[in-house]
Amino acid sequence: MIYLDSAATTLQKPPQVARACAWAVSSLSTPGRGSHPAAARAARTAYRCRALVGELFGCPAERVIFTFNATHGLNIAIKSLVPPGGRAVISGYEHNAVTRPLHGLGARIAVAEAPLFDRSAMLRSFERLVVPGTDAVICTHVSNVFGFALPVEEIAALCRWRGVPFIVDASQSAGVLPLSLEELGATFIAMPGHKGLYGPQGTGLLLCGREDAVPLLEGGTGSASAQPMMPDFLPDRLEAGTHNMTGVAGLLEGLRFVQRTGLRRIREHEAKLTAAAAARLRRVPGAQVFSGPLGSQTGVLSFRLAGLECEAVGEALAQRGIAVRAGLHCAPLAHRTAGTFETGTVRVSFSAFNHLREVEALTAAVAGLASRRG
Amino acid sequence: MVYYLIVCRSLTYAQRTAAVLERVGIAARLMRSPRIIAGEGCGYSVKIAERNLALALTTLARQGLSPKRVFLQNGDGSYREVGL
Repeated sequence: MIYLDSAATTLQKPPQVARACAWAVSSLSTPGRGSHPAAARAARTAYRCRALVGELFGCPAERVIFTFNATHGLNIAIKSLVPPGGRAVISGYEHNAVTRPLHGLGARIAVAEAPLFDRSAMLRSFERLVVPGTDAVICTHVSNVFGFALPVEEIAALCRWRGVPFIVDASQSAGVLPLSLEELGATFIAMPGHKGLYGPQGTGLLLCGREDAVPLLEGGTGSASAQPMMPDFLPDRLEAGTHNMTGVAGLLEGLRFVQRTGLRRIREHEAKLTAAAAARLRRVPGAQVFSGPLGSQTGVLSFRLAGLECEAVGEALAQRGIAVRAGLHCAPLAHRTAGTFETGTVRVSFSAFNHLREVEALTAAVAGLASRRG
Repeated sequence: MVYYLIVCRSLTYAQRTAAVLERVGIAARLMRSPRIIAGEGCGYSVKIAERNLALALTTLARQGLSPKRVFLQNGDGSYREVGL
């Protein structure tokens, strides 16, 4: 199979990830739940993972929270900052992981809109909407549909200047673009472990710029056990219950791979594949390809074919052994903003493990579908 | 032997505390806090030799790590809190 769906989950992982998961199943218990060797090994593994996350993303180890996925982290962040009926400013490229919690809170949502790949227009849009009384600004670093890299550094500066808390959804950028909690001065950054960090599914990270986050889950933490309420310190406050140590051990190896390989090398590799795919797809009759200028797009690319439904294209490619994702990608707002809501798109997304020959196979298959369409 | 126990807010703080101390050459052993000093129950401490306390506190302050409390562990196993 040619796997081009890494924006959902990276399937090819460094071999150390699976080995670490297998080792963890039989060797690790839970951090903070005992003094025996299995608990001590688990504690060391968890700490190494937090410390490495801290090193990669400019955050003290104790402010690194293990979550189930990015959605989990975004829910904690949003529900910590936005009260029921509160005001939130979001970009027009957000995922349902942001919009659904806000709708659930009955929040007043102001959407900063801008044409695809127009970073300046996006910043101007945020400048108009971020006003006093805003409870939080929430912005994806990179659109999961189009790979559009939003100007989060500038939006973070705007939020600092206007004193508004800032949440970054780094689902598509972690492991690809530089990102630092400290440098951004962000309130929270949420990211999955199973995409660009090459960890297993069921892992995610929330980086906390403040300690008073509201837990979604309450229960045992292995600390301050005599207290009836959750501890007031991190990470314990946000980590009730037994940790996913199999996931954490795998994630640690994924993070080590990212560190060894280097963000720049990964980013340039994916950008090269994206540019090649965009250039070749553009030559296919009836193809509309959504690509941006250098620096405005990561390894995620959407396209559609005139006269063929996106879902049909995705299915036909799957039959030819090519894995892509078609439809709305859990981001209807992004499709509305880009004008593709009625049709959806076909999305291809790359990882460090893809090759140019896979791009060639994809584009040849798409060209074949286009020619058969007549 | 006389030791000091640096009581930490959480396991993760204790791990970071131990890592910071080890980096400057102070042998630091992570342990669950004895019940008598744990206070709120289930806490973690870092155990260091008596001679290293001053350097340890200076090092931790430079890293922005403030111990919750510090206890002296006497040779007979009793504990006495040390004012910071």
